[in-house]
Amino acid sequence: MKGKLIWLLSAVTAASCLTACVPSSETNGITLTLMGKKSDLNKSYMTSIFEQYETETGNKLNIIAYEDAEFESAAMEQMETKNAPDILLHFHNADLAQFDVENRFVALNDQSWTADLTDSARAYCTDKDGDLLGLPFWESSVSGCYYNKTILDDLGLRPATAQAEFDVLCEALSETGYTPICWPANGCSWMMQFGLDPLFADDPARLEQLNSGAINYADIPEVTGMVQWVSDAASKGWFGQNYLMTGWDDISPALASGDAVMTFIWDTWFYTDFEKDGTYTIDDFALMPVFLNTVDSGTYEGGNLNMMMVTKSSKHPKEALDFLAFCATPEHYNAAFAGVSTMSCFRGQTTNIQSKMVTDASASIAANERVSTASSQIIGYSAEDVAESFNEMFRGNITVAECVAEMDAKRHAAS
Amino acid sequence: MKNWAGKLLLSCLMCAIGIAAVLTGIVYFNYMSEQINQDSTVHLEEIYGQVNRSFGAFVEENWGLLDSWGENISMMQEDDSVPAYISEKKETWGFSDFYFLSSEMDCMTPDGAQSSIVMDSDWDRLLTERQPVMAGERLPDGKDVTVFAVPVAHREYQGFGYDAIAVSYTNADLAASLDVTAFSGKSRCFVIHEDGSVLLSTQNGGNVFDNYLTYLDAASDLEEEQFSQMKRDWHEGTSGLIRCHFQSVSYCILYQPLGYQDYIMLCIVPQSAVSAGFLSVQKTTANVLLVVFLAVGISALALFLIRSSSQSRRSRLELQYRERMFDVLSGSVDDIFIMLGDAYRSVDYVSPNIERLLGIPVEEARRDIRVMEKCAVGDNVLIPKEELDAIPLHGSSVHEYEYMHQHTGERRWYRMTVYHMQIQEMTKYIIVLSDRTQERQMNQKLQEALTAARSANEAKSNFLSNMSHDIRTPMNAIVGFSVLLEKDADKPDKVREYTRKITASSHHLLSLINDVLDMSKIESGKTSLNVEPFCLPELLEELHIILLPQAKAKHQDLRIHVQGAPPEQLVGDKLRLNQILLNLLSNAIKYTPEDGHIDFLISELSQKTPQYARLRFVVKDDGIGISEEFQKHIFSPFSREINSVTNKIQGTGLGMAITKNLVDLMGGIIRVESEPGKGSTFTVEMSFLLAEQDDTEQWFRQKIHRVLVADDEKDICTDIQRLLGEAGVEVVYETDGAAAVETAVHAHETGADFDVILLDWKMPGLDGVQTARSIREQIKRHVPILVLTSHDWSDIEDEARRAGINAFLSKPFFASSFWLTLKPMFEAEETAAPESPEENIMQGKLFLVAEDNELNAEILTEMLHIEGAECEVAVNGQEAVERFLHAEPGHFDMILMDVQMPVMNGYDATRQIRSSSHPEARTIPIAAMTANTFAEDVRNAIDAGMDGHLAKPIDMAAVRELTAKLLRRQGAETPAQDNKGGSP
Repeated sequence: MKGKLIWLLSAVTAASCLTACVPSSETNGITLTLMGKKSDLNKSYMTSIFEQYETETGNKLNIIAYEDAEFESAAMEQMETKNAPDILLHFHNADLAQFDVENRFVALNDQSWTADLTDSARAYCTDKDGDLLGLPFWESSVSGCYYNKTILDDLGLRPATAQAEFDVLCEALSETGYTPICWPANGCSWMMQFGLDPLFADDPARLEQLNSGAINYADIPEVTGMVQWVSDAASKGWFGQNYLMTGWDDISPALASGDAVMTFIWDTWFYTDFEKDGTYTIDDFALMPVFLNTVDSGTYEGGNLNMMMVTKSSKHPKEALDFLAFCATPEHYNAAFAGVSTMSCFRGQTTNIQSKMVTDASASIAANERVSTASSQIIGYSAEDVAESFNEMFRGNITVAECVAEMDAKRHAAS
Repeated sequence: MKNWAGKLLLSCLMCAIGIAAVLTGIVYFNYMSEQINQDSTVHLEEIYGQVNRSFGAFVEENWGLLDSWGENISMMQEDDSVPAYISEKKETWGFSDFYFLSSEMDCMTPDGAQSSIVMDSDWDRLLTERQPVMAGERLPDGKDVTVFAVPVAHREYQGFGYDAIAVSYTNADLAASLDVTAFSGKSRCFVIHEDGSVLLSTQNGGNVFDNYLTYLDAASDLEEEQFSQMKRDWHEGTSGLIRCHFQSVSYCILYQPLGYQDYIMLCIVPQSAVSAGFLSVQKTTANVLLVVFLAVGISALALFLIRSSSQSRRSRLELQYRERMFDVLSGSVDDIFIMLGDAYRSVDYVSPNIERLLGIPVEEARRDIRVMEKCAVGDNVLIPKEELDAIPLHGSSVHEYEYMHQHTGERRWYRMTVYHMQIQEMTKYIIVLSDRTQERQMNQKLQEALTAARSANEAKSNFLSNMSHDIRTPMNAIVGFSVLLEKDADKPDKVREYTRKITASSHHLLSLINDVLDMSKIESGKTSLNVEPFCLPELLEELHIILLPQAKAKHQDLRIHVQGAPPEQLVGDKLRLNQILLNLLSNAIKYTPEDGHIDFLISELSQKTPQYARLRFVVKDDGIGISEEFQKHIFSPFSREINSVTNKIQGTGLGMAITKNLVDLMGGIIRVESEPGKGSTFTVEMSFLLAEQDDTEQWFRQKIHRVLVADDEKDICTDIQRLLGEAGVEVVYETDGAAAVETAVHAHETGADFDVILLDWKMPGLDGVQTARSIREQIKRHVPILVLTSHDWSDIEDEARRAGINAFLSKPFFASSFWLTLKPMFEAEETAAPESPEENIMQGKLFLVAEDNELNAEILTEMLHIEGAECEVAVNGQEAVERFLHAEPGHFDMILMDVQMPVMNGYDATRQIRSSSHPEARTIPIAAMTANTFAEDVRNAIDAGMDGHLAKPIDMAAVRELTAKLLRRQGAETPAQDNKGGSP
């Protein structure tokens, strides 16, 4: 009931916007319909680019914004009608698959602006067939192992470059009384996907096998290896004593106080959620790859990007592609992302703020970054389900093998 | 106590042994630990010394190889040959890269590529000092390598002038050669510079330590002095070993200089890993010792337990045996034993006989002793807890309670003795319940006996007092009137008055004495019965005759009722029965006021034995009654109820006691029901042997066929009709006199005269006398007419006889009385010589009186003389015998024989007379004269051959009656002899 009400309000809002955006008889501009999540569409760089477009082109944008919870179903329903939007703003994740991407969206490989995309951004927006599905226009961050370099320096330690070194590092930190890794098991669920990303990003065939049901996690030794390593790390105390109670709000105090030395998170978190008044500041932190025993050299997860896709049923396909080109123009995107802390999606992106941590680790990132694959590409993947299985294992209720089996079972159930 | 001390000593000994063993173990293990530490340190030093040497040899070897390869390369004519050569060596020795180093600190690989090796200060050592060096490098690709370089003579290779050559090994490869597996892989080995910077590490092939000194300083608990000493050692190139902790884990840190440059081999091994082998031995030793100790301990404990168990079992068995034995013993006695733990909260023991003695299941009592309260008769049967607590230690308390058996309801008295004791420092109460019922009953009986004795004594005292008074009263009268008699001898009226009073007092005195004698006889157990056939109606008639005047004097209505048809001829002691009934009836008359009523009821009870008849005699009056309290003692001797009425009535208090004893003697029962002011009812029941029927009834059946009865009480008429009807006599009755006359006349006129007419005296209309007169007037035929009355007929006897009444019959009507009354009439008719009722049998008779007491003899002589008889007195039995033997036959008519006489008593004298040859030896009537009137006296007299018995003092009426009886009998037996008295 609540959902329907929201949908109705959204529709009314959209209708109002539509009415407002409908070009008057005095102008020659057209109106493009753009559909997305309300929270996404309200980002400053989004509203900025919309404003630039309308101002400079005289065209109008009919923004259809859905509440986050209603978005997927409402968008899908809308796509089935003749009133399908011209442009859909959507993450390249598993939810997108249900939109029949191949038949519904225009491939953008031949667009002029594609050369300006960073490798990671392009990789993120490309499907398994190599088709560029959309224009990435989003803030992004690098997920990796952020560590307190000050503490390491004080201890005569240096960051790890390999899984073995990471293990030594954890052990050395543990010996000195620090909690090596802040592992927020209570309500946080993103850590495991970092370990899974390289397994499927580096081997798309394996991903296809997994999604087709040909194999399971249990058939992939690295998955079991990851679960085993996490289990061992927890047993050794590398996550501290109260990691099962550690949640989102506990990460910042742990790192800022120096109780914990490392955590698996993304750089923008430091600008949005990290305490400013702790013992340690952002400047004390640095970035190294996440080591979860799936790849020896570790891995980074690239940002999850919202991309603007042109529907094949668009009433104004040319104008829609022009809108994307408008957004991909350095003048426009630099204006939109001016002062925004984010990784760059465009090579010519200069006005955004990139963290020093990311910059310092750029070589390592370049060598070890993977597109976010697990959460977006594995059908039925639920970070919460995986975290729940891990927590059951932490509590001693299930074994490592049972944890892996449960991850499979939940994935199958959700797919 | 001794056993307890032994156990304490044993326990102390075992504790001491245990403590000694533990202390020995501690000392031993401390010693062993110290030794192990020392040994493990040596072991550690040896191992890493060997690693050091190996690594040193590896370094020296590489430097040597480089020297050799440098020479060889310098001798190569063509530079093109160098890469192949190097490649071959690389494959052989496993280094990763080969470098040509210039004095300008440039480097080139064999393939001509420029490279970058920093080596920092080692360049000087290499190129200036011309010393081989070993240095660490991090390559651009992030790999850590170790470079071995040696100076060579300046040469060129592919135009690159070089002064040194070098090879590099990846640290991962080198670490593998340094890895030490002796400590289960738990050791870390570093090659570090003196400043702590790490050249390479063996740890899992990776290294995250930039400077281990920094890490040690931050992570370990090394003291500053230790830290300084270690750095001095490093600086001075000396080896050392220190121990520290990382997060409470003990580590051994061993450092040894490599011997070139400032390199130090630093080994960090967990103490547990260092001592693992030794600890294993120590642990094994400890385990063995522990096992041995445990085995010994367990064995000792087992032995102890077995012994304890055995002792405990023996103790338990002994306890069970004792308990069983105690149960058996207590089961056979009537004492209940109880042991309480602490007050009533716990019960340690209850003897099983509690179930037998009190009906309480022993298990129930053992659960809660307060269950005994169910047996309470009074308020309580258990000593109250407060009193229990108040008993001092080692003291006791005695109580007596009455308990009621739960099943039988029997009540018994128990003496409860409670002992307060301390057993094994625990408070115990031992309760012994002893059955004291018999003792109590005995005491009670003794008390009762004592009371009875006191009462009897008191009664006897009272009796003596009373008797003294009672005897003195008539005696005083006799003495007093005797004096007056002598004084007034010439005054006939006075003499008669005095004589009458003396006689009355004498009779009263005699009655007292007889009662006393009777009681004395009864109490001494010498009373016996004189059992012989007797006629019940006769007895009742005698009673009636005796009592009727007394009742009449008090204007009382004395009635005798016969219910049913009790047998008339019985066998028993008529005299005693008479005495019993007379006592009861006399008392009834005595204690019933004037105009009162006394009913005497005779009835037959059912009797199973056909030879016996059980009769009930009930004497009921409406007199003063008897109090309930006195009813309990009424049959006790010397007891009299004291009240305003009884005080005026003379009595000894022996009458009812004698009656009761006589009833008991005759096998009967007597009971009394009374209510003061309303009267009393005495009931006597006793059995009599039925006497054989004589032929009287048969004889009369032939003489009498029809009888006319006239009585206003129809029940009496029907009774007579029934009784006579059984003898075949036709009875016609009328309920008034006139009808009787009419019936009699009518019968006469019709020729069906009645053989006997029986008339009630007092009838409405014509009474019996008037009816008789009328019948005589109208019927001339002589028909015996009898009057049936319950009243004294003496006042009307003359008138009745004149009216033609032949005889009187007392009510109640008995057939036997009827026959006996009629028999003389019919006999007279048959003989036609009726005896004059005025005949004096005593007239002219001569008695032989044997009496030793002169006074008695004189009285008797005078009294016989008054009666017209004479007597000769013999002073003893012998004289009496002689007088009789010497007397002519017919000289004496009768002998009156005193029993107790000097020379020869009356019995012996009689026997001699009877056994003599005198013609009248068998027939002469002999009557005993005794003060004893008991049955045995009578029987003794008869046994001696006497014919009758007269009680002293002699009553002339009795003498007259007995004389007539005996002489008549003698006459019947010896008709030929004429009597001297004859008829007047």
